[in-house]
Amino acid sequence: LWLECSVAAGGIMAYIVYKRKKTRTIPLGDGWWGVGEKTLSEDQKIYPFQVETSDKEIEDLYERIDRTRYADPLEDGKFHYGFNSTYLKKVVSYWRHEFDWKKQVAVLNKYPHFKTKIEGLDVHFIHVRPPHRENQKVLPIMIVHGWPGSFYEFYKILPLLTQSRDGVVFEVICPSIPGYGFSEASHKQGFNSLAAARIFLKLMERLGFSQFYLQGGDWGSLITTNMAQMKPQCVNGLHLNMCMSNSGFKVLLSLLIGPYLPFLVGLSREDVRRLFPFFEKNVFEMLRESGYFHIQATKPDTAGCGVNDSPVGLAAWILEKFSSWADMKNRDLEDGGLERKFSLDDLLTNVMIYWTTGSITSSMRFYKENLGSNLNNRVDFKYVIFVPTGFAAFPNELMYCPKSWAQIRYRNLQSYTFMPRGGHFAAFEEPQLLADDLFNFVKKVEKS
Amino acid sequence: MFTEVLLALVIGGLIYFLVQRSKNQVLTTEDGWWGSGAPRDAGEDDTIRSFRVTTSDQELEDLYRRIDLTRPFPSLEDSQFNYGFNSQYLQKVVSYWRNEFDWRKQVDKLNQYPHFKTKIEGIDIHYLHVKPKKVPEGTSAVPLIMVHGWPGSFYEFYGLIPLLTDLSNPHDLVFEVVCPSIPGYGFSEAPHKKGFDSVCAARIFHKLMKRLGFQQYYAHGGDWGWLVTTNMAQLEPKTVKGLHLNFAPPSKPGLSMALSMMLGRHFPKLFGFTDFDIQRLFPCMEKLVVEFIKETGYMHIQATKPDTVGRGLNDSPVGLAAYILEKFSTWTSHDFRNLDDGGLTRKFSLDDLLTNVMIYWTSGCIISSMRFYKENFGQGLDQHLIVYVPTGFACFPNELMHTPKLWVKQKYRKLVTFTPMDRGGHFAAMEEPELMAEDIQKFTKIVEGKVKE
Repeated sequence: LWLECSVAAGGIMAYIVYKRKKTRTIPLGDGWWGVGEKTLSEDQKIYPFQVETSDKEIEDLYERIDRTRYADPLEDGKFHYGFNSTYLKKVVSYWRHEFDWKKQVAVLNKYPHFKTKIEGLDVHFIHVRPPHRENQKVLPIMIVHGWPGSFYEFYKILPLLTQSRDGVVFEVICPSIPGYGFSEASHKQGFNSLAAARIFLKLMERLGFSQFYLQGGDWGSLITTNMAQMKPQCVNGLHLNMCMSNSGFKVLLSLLIGPYLPFLVGLSREDVRRLFPFFEKNVFEMLRESGYFHIQATKPDTAGCGVNDSPVGLAAWILEKFSSWADMKNRDLEDGGLERKFSLDDLLTNVMIYWTTGSITSSMRFYKENLGSNLNNRVDFKYVIFVPTGFAAFPNELMYCPKSWAQIRYRNLQSYTFMPRGGHFAAFEEPQLLADDLFNFVKKVEKS
Repeated sequence: MFTEVLLALVIGGLIYFLVQRSKNQVLTTEDGWWGSGAPRDAGEDDTIRSFRVTTSDQELEDLYRRIDLTRPFPSLEDSQFNYGFNSQYLQKVVSYWRNEFDWRKQVDKLNQYPHFKTKIEGIDIHYLHVKPKKVPEGTSAVPLIMVHGWPGSFYEFYGLIPLLTDLSNPHDLVFEVVCPSIPGYGFSEAPHKKGFDSVCAARIFHKLMKRLGFQQYYAHGGDWGWLVTTNMAQLEPKTVKGLHLNFAPPSKPGLSMALSMMLGRHFPKLFGFTDFDIQRLFPCMEKLVVEFIKETGYMHIQATKPDTVGRGLNDSPVGLAAYILEKFSTWTSHDFRNLDDGGLTRKFSLDDLLTNVMIYWTSGCIISSMRFYKENFGQGLDQHLIVYVPTGFACFPNELMHTPKLWVKQKYRKLVTFTPMDRGGHFAAMEEPELMAEDIQKFTKIVEGKVKE
């Protein structure tokens, strides 16, 4: 019986491996997301853009904040029931009386912003050139944000990337995903990561870049991966801090054998420490933390409705993630550990981007568009990535992905680094660590 | 493949979780205290106070101002109710709410039945107590407690109450009805401590009935009301004479249920499945699993982060209306998701729907109502004890989770009546009060021994 089983297992494994060897690129396709019918020609110009505000906008915000109807938190509830009301009042008080939105708008405008129409939508992005380019190798890179973040998450890492190291420096493009912040939201159904990837490829082309690097976390990691699958010839390297690993036979095997003989399934001691007991650590955590995911992937219009009227509701919804996703243990704290890694000014600036653009509902729809239809039918999940890839594994990232799992999809994994600290919002929390890893990865790729 | 594995892991995790918890066999409960701070040494105030629903110009002006400040976001072209409550239709509902809905008139309607409040375990419990005007000679009114669910309220029973308390047919029984609000819902005070689940609510409602002088009574419930009344029957089987339900999702799949899922399609007679059962249950993956995932996002987030999700809804009346009314659309019929107006006014009037929303709005109870999910997924739903109290089940065709007779009997061993209804969905009492009243009559008569089974 053992012989039959091992032959069968070997056969299955060989088949799986064979099936995955397809190296095709995924088709580009096309799309139109504007109102009504597609226009004959599209305005391809790139227009400079400035973030603006007004007294009226700020007064409206304050009036709504003043009308907030708080409810008492449960005694000793901490952050286990969601964002703690008592601490929320403190955050909101700061927001109402000390946060200076006009000053933050000036901060936002310190990098040049632009908008351009692609596939019927106004796509917003910042374009940051390194101040010193002479005798430097200038590498163009696009960095894509996720939810509930924005291009603003990268404001700390931008100065580090535009400063040369050993003759290498980056020219950075940070777009806003359509439906997020200052990028127009799609008017048609079906706008998923493949559409965003294609639009961003068109953006890079329009800006005159034929070869570039990509970096992304959260949705950004899926979008940049799609970009690398669509036009691998353009992508020099792909750097990710979050990996949505495809599960499959190898993963199942790892789960079963891993706790006992980790080396046999390509797991290191560090991997074991972070993964097991798998059920407790990952599946339950996933269930506990994925309520927002579930409702946004099924009823985004309903979920977004209330938070688009209530700034405090919006802040609670968004900032709860900045608490738990920086470190799950933050749920045991009265203040959710929010200000341990982030300043209130930075956190609220990000919230204000969602608030002033009223983009929360469209940002949530992205979940439904990507996950609503049958996951198995997604063409991008069937094919692997051969573009040189670098992965930065932060200890408090939501879903731990060991190197061997990442390699199932990313066949050209050039670097995989265990980070000493940091969570989901890596660029925001640990810009130095991320920048270091990015430079190291890029140097490796440039050498080969 | 990815979905299958993920699903297997999730279901596996859930089963493991559930199995691990159901170690206790007897439903016992300790006393509780839900007020703020520590319980006072002096005895609890157990007086029963009259209560009237009131409103004010200020309340209405605040509501109107907030409605006027709404920042609507258009729904995607041609998406109907598939992404949630359609924004364009929502504007119509809101316009009615703002310009035609008469809250003062509705408040008078709410006050047509006597309301009361009394303190139990440290919190104020609100309830209606409706006595029949006429009781036939030589009989007494049958006491009945009816418990609502989420996102409903005692108001759901307003169409049903007169059918049970006004004697029109001399052969019918007449009822004395008590409709409480679950603590944390509407006019009942919200618990200040963690851990308030359905068993605690059941215990409190027993105390309420005892305080009102009832020794034995019937119980009716749907949605959370199903669980609370079931817990009442599990806590005190001798006190609950009969249990009438319109919702009874099995919380733990037993052997017969699992077998029926695998073989039921091919051997329906073996499991007592009707054509309708087959239609609603198979193919299992699509009808049960996929539908479940599509519609339980709210449940998932409320069971994990109630304070976050409720936060915005307590400031935005339109957001609250969208959140609540989406359920009155989809849970009345799944097909309504493909309608531009969600079929909302096909079975309900806007006045009734908005009155229910106003109960959540004026009491500001949306957050505490959601916490019940988190508390229940911790403990309350794990009471797998078999129920031997006589049970009647009204099976409405568009109920969220369809439970054929076999599945109901898994837990409710003394199933006296099982009535497949012609029409109606999740909010059955509000949608089809006549059908519901008929079934309650039928069930109660059998238990009372007036009619042969």
